[in-house]
Amino acid sequence: MQNRNSYKKIEDFLSDESFQRWVRRNEDLTHWEEWTLESTERAKLVEEARLWILAMKVEETEISNEETQLALQKTWESIAQSNKRSPIKVIWQSNWFKSAAAMIVIGLTTLIYFTSETKIATNTTITYQELVEKDSDGLIEQTNNSDKPQLITLSDASSVLLQPKSKLSYPKTFTGNERKVYLSGEGFFEISKDPKKPFYVYANETITKVYGTSFRVVAYSNQPNVEVLVRTGKVKVSSNQDIKNAPIEEVMLLPNQAARFLRKKLLFEKILDITQDKPLLATTNSIEQLSFEFKDIPVSQIFRTIEQGYLVSIDYPTEKLNSCYLTTSLSDEPLPEKLKIICESLGNNTRYEMNGNHIIIISNGCN
Amino acid sequence: MDKLRTNNEKLSDSTLWNQLRSGDEEAFSLLFERYYSPLVNYGKTLMSESDIVKDCVQDVFVNIWSYRYKLNDAIAIRAYLLSCVRKRIARYHEREHIFSKVKDVDSLDFLFDFSIEEQLIADETMAIKVQQLNRLINYLPTRQKEALYLRYHQGLSVEQVAEVLNMNYQSTKNLLHRAILQLRKDFPISVLALFVEFSINH
Repeated sequence: MQNRNSYKKIEDFLSDESFQRWVRRNEDLTHWEEWTLESTERAKLVEEARLWILAMKVEETEISNEETQLALQKTWESIAQSNKRSPIKVIWQSNWFKSAAAMIVIGLTTLIYFTSETKIATNTTITYQELVEKDSDGLIEQTNNSDKPQLITLSDASSVLLQPKSKLSYPKTFTGNERKVYLSGEGFFEISKDPKKPFYVYANETITKVYGTSFRVVAYSNQPNVEVLVRTGKVKVSSNQDIKNAPIEEVMLLPNQAARFLRKKLLFEKILDITQDKPLLATTNSIEQLSFEFKDIPVSQIFRTIEQGYLVSIDYPTEKLNSCYLTTSLSDEPLPEKLKIICESLGNNTRYEMNGNHIIIISNGCN
Repeated sequence: MDKLRTNNEKLSDSTLWNQLRSGDEEAFSLLFERYYSPLVNYGKTLMSESDIVKDCVQDVFVNIWSYRYKLNDAIAIRAYLLSCVRKRIARYHEREHIFSKVKDVDSLDFLFDFSIEEQLIADETMAIKVQQLNRLINYLPTRQKEALYLRYHQGLSVEQVAEVLNMNYQSTKNLLHRAILQLRKDFPISVLALFVEFSINH
């Protein structure tokens, strides 16, 4: 605040809280009275400012505590109602989600429609290098030059399996209200749950936002499309706002939905049912693009993943296995081994039979 | 939670705001308790139906919660809330008058009249002066009156007043200054003669 000795206008006094208190309530902790009497010029100004305050009373009715509490209650009810209207949030808040840590598999896959010489409009592409340079935090970069996935543990206890020929940049420790990493190539992410700190994967021109889950991202720089594929849960994918002369595109994805980002046109195509989309289905059938890291997942979901990954059909007693959840890592197991591990986890009474591409699970339920 | 509540008085707006932004329900409730009454009072200066004003203020809070993860930090909370209430009421008017007269946020009328601090007035001469001044203030264009209210009653800075009124800084500064200058011109010389020369010269 300005020193009162330099007050020259009525405005200066009117906006001085301690002056207001002195006039209104005769509180004179800072000795306005003495100060005023120090000069006649000052006294005149003070007198006029006082008139202004006296003439500008604001009469308000204080709302009682009880009424405020009722209003607050009503507000929470409206919030609950507005949540109900949105099906996305219902899924998000259902017991299934509360009891089971969500698994989301996002495949950011790129389809090669053209040869590798395809020219992607260069002025609108965003490269991994640009993204990393922009981030002001000191980033650590890991490059996987080996021929096996490489495990990276992040400061928030999240882990990333980085595929060969891929790069990941991330801060040594996540600070602030966001967790941001930058990917070139492919990685399998297992993100620790923290609703207060959303996790972002920047890959090419897209940004994928989650609050805590596991998913796979594949984004190579020399391919024309980016596809995001969701199995369960909710994911937001948007275009990077830094793309020159382009509005931000945004897609919210629910289970079995997908988005295809056309890098040339800078647009998302939303695919409402991945099973109806042939190019996409071709990529989902590829086992490399599925995650077999399961964390508290209904066994029915695990079977569905296996069905899609191996192009098989699985019959199982739906009701008996209704409330069975599994936490298991099946990534590096061949199909028979996967089925064996699942059956052992469910209990002694469970076994499987396999006839060609048809699998039957025999079970009395889990304990 | 209880700890937060007992420390209510000590927690600054911005602390609560940041907790709210990260999804803290208790922080949301505390901010609501702190601001509900002043916001309803401000709303009533723009619209006479107090039930609708209360609904509007509650809607503002519903939206704040819905978009909590997208809210900015480092904002002046009071100014932000006042501005939300103003926009909300403008939108209400807009809907109500969609077929007759559109009211946007810039043409909201400030309906409030300042009153007089009767009990603080010592003598007759002063009473007359204050009454005259009060009448002149209440005759000001509504926008100038609202700027005065926000600046000197709500204690907003000139920048914040500008934001709430959806104006740029310089015009807001001029608006506030003109309001006071205008009154000094209108105010009977006999009453203010002493001050006029002083203030004009500065």
